[in-house]
Amino acid sequence: MRVGLRLQGTRCRAVVLDGRTVVSAAREVLAGSLPEALDSSLSGLRREFGSGITEITADVGRVLAERKLADVVAIRISPRPPADAFHMTVLPPLVEPAVTRTVHVRGGHDLRGRPLARLDLEAFLADLPGILAGDVRNVAITSVGSTASTDHETRIADAILGSDRDMRISISSDFYSSVFRDRDYTAILNSALMETGEELAAMLEEAGRRQFPAGHLSFAKNDGGRAPLARLTVAPIHGLRAGPAMGILGAATLAGIPEGEVILCTEAGAAVGHTRAGLPVARSLIRQGFDASLASNAAILEPYTVHHPVRTDVPSVIADLRERQETALPFGLVPTLPAVPDAALVGTAAAPLTAWIDRLETVTGRVDLKRVQNLAEEDAHSAAVQLGAGPGQTRIIESNVYAMPYGNPGIVRIRVQAAGETSADEERVLPAAMRGTTR
Amino acid sequence: MSSVLTPEDIRNLRTGAHFLTCTIDPTAIYIYAEMIQRAMEDRSVELITVDELAPDDLVVAVGMVTQGLFIADMPPVGDEFLGCIRALEASLGRSVRAVYSLAAANINGIVPLMVGLQSSLPVIDSDPMGRVFPLISQTTLNIGNVPIGPIALMGVTGERAVVEVESPQRAETLVRALVTELGGWAATAMYPCSAQQLKEHGVHGTISRMIRIGQILDADTAVEKKLLMLNEFLGTTRIARARVSHIESLSRPTDLGLPAQPSSVTLDDETTGRIIRLEIQNEILLVLVDGAVTAAVPDMVTLLNSEQGTVVNTDDVQLGDVVDIVKITAAAQWYTESGLDLTEPKAFGIPIVHPRRRHA
Repeated sequence: MRVGLRLQGTRCRAVVLDGRTVVSAAREVLAGSLPEALDSSLSGLRREFGSGITEITADVGRVLAERKLADVVAIRISPRPPADAFHMTVLPPLVEPAVTRTVHVRGGHDLRGRPLARLDLEAFLADLPGILAGDVRNVAITSVGSTASTDHETRIADAILGSDRDMRISISSDFYSSVFRDRDYTAILNSALMETGEELAAMLEEAGRRQFPAGHLSFAKNDGGRAPLARLTVAPIHGLRAGPAMGILGAATLAGIPEGEVILCTEAGAAVGHTRAGLPVARSLIRQGFDASLASNAAILEPYTVHHPVRTDVPSVIADLRERQETALPFGLVPTLPAVPDAALVGTAAAPLTAWIDRLETVTGRVDLKRVQNLAEEDAHSAAVQLGAGPGQTRIIESNVYAMPYGNPGIVRIRVQAAGETSADEERVLPAAMRGTTR
Repeated sequence: MSSVLTPEDIRNLRTGAHFLTCTIDPTAIYIYAEMIQRAMEDRSVELITVDELAPDDLVVAVGMVTQGLFIADMPPVGDEFLGCIRALEASLGRSVRAVYSLAAANINGIVPLMVGLQSSLPVIDSDPMGRVFPLISQTTLNIGNVPIGPIALMGVTGERAVVEVESPQRAETLVRALVTELGGWAATAMYPCSAQQLKEHGVHGTISRMIRIGQILDADTAVEKKLLMLNEFLGTTRIARARVSHIESLSRPTDLGLPAQPSSVTLDDETTGRIIRLEIQNEILLVLVDGAVTAAVPDMVTLLNSEQGTVVNTDDVQLGDVVDIVKITAAAQWYTESGLDLTEPKAFGIPIVHPRRRHA
């Protein structure tokens, strides 16, 4: 059996899933603190289900969103600093106050991975004591061209850790976007969340060990998958906004639709997402209007409109997630899953381990392209196994190649998603079409 | 008639520039629009018609030339275009009176406004493409035998070059090589010419056209109404509303001189059962409907979200998406013999003659 948790404030809400069957309806514990609520919730589940529970996944997205961001030093590596105020990188209002200091370092690479300028490590090392002397323990490093070469980001990170191993460092090449400001924003926000991620991971680890010593603990990600708690300490960004992905996955799980359309109806309106090979269809960026985007693979959930095309050949589920069903759904929608306000918790319980490979490759032709794509698929498979998935229970969900408009000839972007389950957990929640691969 | 542009104009131009790019990632346009709006708080930019200049006034095209790292991945420092204009003025021994866009779409549709704000030079409501093409030789000024050089380039590293060149094809080769080594893009100033030459050989009203397109697309109206208004304004036609069924990269052999790899998208028109094939290389070059050529470069083709009426980026196209495929006729100069020689599908390695040439 698998448990899905959602943490918020000083509350913990839980659901227990056995296959596709909800064996324990959602129950919520409100306590004096979040650790107390979590411990009380898990304690109750242990008394009721004992060792039958093998997987516990927590959606911590709301806690990450509600906590004050930690202060961050932003290090930007490029050949030259902006010449005027208009050309400065502008951060979204959410994170702008968290950046207490910005440091420019000369360096950066082109799309072929060749240096545009020699990394000015000497100048940075001269500044480093001043950076470390402050109270800020979080650093974000973003370099021009780090999608092609991580060298300058990692050398700056190494220089910092060489002076102080306790600094929390987030480098932008851990997040794929071809836009500098997206990676910069993502690295800064990730860095600002790492302290909270560490606290949450420690809290979940401690409570889990006490109540379910043999259970696997994970956190829910915004792509509809999960990852071990250790990842929450280094990449908490992927735990932000997991709710939409879990809603899609939960409704699809309850309806038994691994490939199809999922319409979620809440008090705020109706939205539509899709599932493919048992997981929500995801995009590599969370777009925020004209502001910088978050470079995190996240489920696509878009507003349902009156112009929404109706397809009879695609399986569809309309889930009513509202707390109260006194009024009809908008657009004349008729729910096929009525009154399932905790569908997202079901999704959290059902989420598989997921891993992404997203990188640039240089190819000479179609045969070479096939070779690097196969290699990326193997790497994605390995990455899922490293997260704890059983080699025999891991499959490729998505494998795509993107041409780079106005790029260097022969350079393509390869993006692959793999998903799997731990060897201990052979329950496949959405087994059908799991081996489907898109190109 | 000159006008001082407003932040609202910039917002609309942003949308219009994206619409006419045939669906390339618009992030760099957004970044520039944001920078321009901030700069407009204490300075202004004037949009003029070419008729408002003296016939022999010196005007230059400004625009980004890219091959490699995205502009959005290596944001300009801010001094690049001014450096290019100064270099051209030094080379020609004359002062530039006004700037115009190298291509009135995508990033180059909006860049001249920042240059105008920084330099206090007016921006001319004309350009030499009337859309965007990947090659700097693909201009109506080239058709009119207006010299492309000298060309000034400056990259983000601060390195600068002035290329003394006459042949647009040689300019293409030289500039492309420099751009690659400058990191992936270069700010450029080229096609220095008289206002009279631009008047005779340019495409006119193209900046204000982007603003008007933005007004239509950003309006709070139904998609069908927007399509109708675009038809009235631009003569656009909707080729199909169709669902993406297949995406293929490196789908055709390509000349390495052309930036980017080709890719193809197949869609099903579920109402009529027609199969639509899009051939893409930077932009959508060709639309085949059941194997018949329905739109071909220099026609512009763009994709709109069938529900929201917003422009779809090729990066974001996913299997199962339903899009409106919209065709826009390019400037008249592109359908002449010499215009088609430069820009019909054969120029992009696709062995297809443009239907207009066949029917000429």
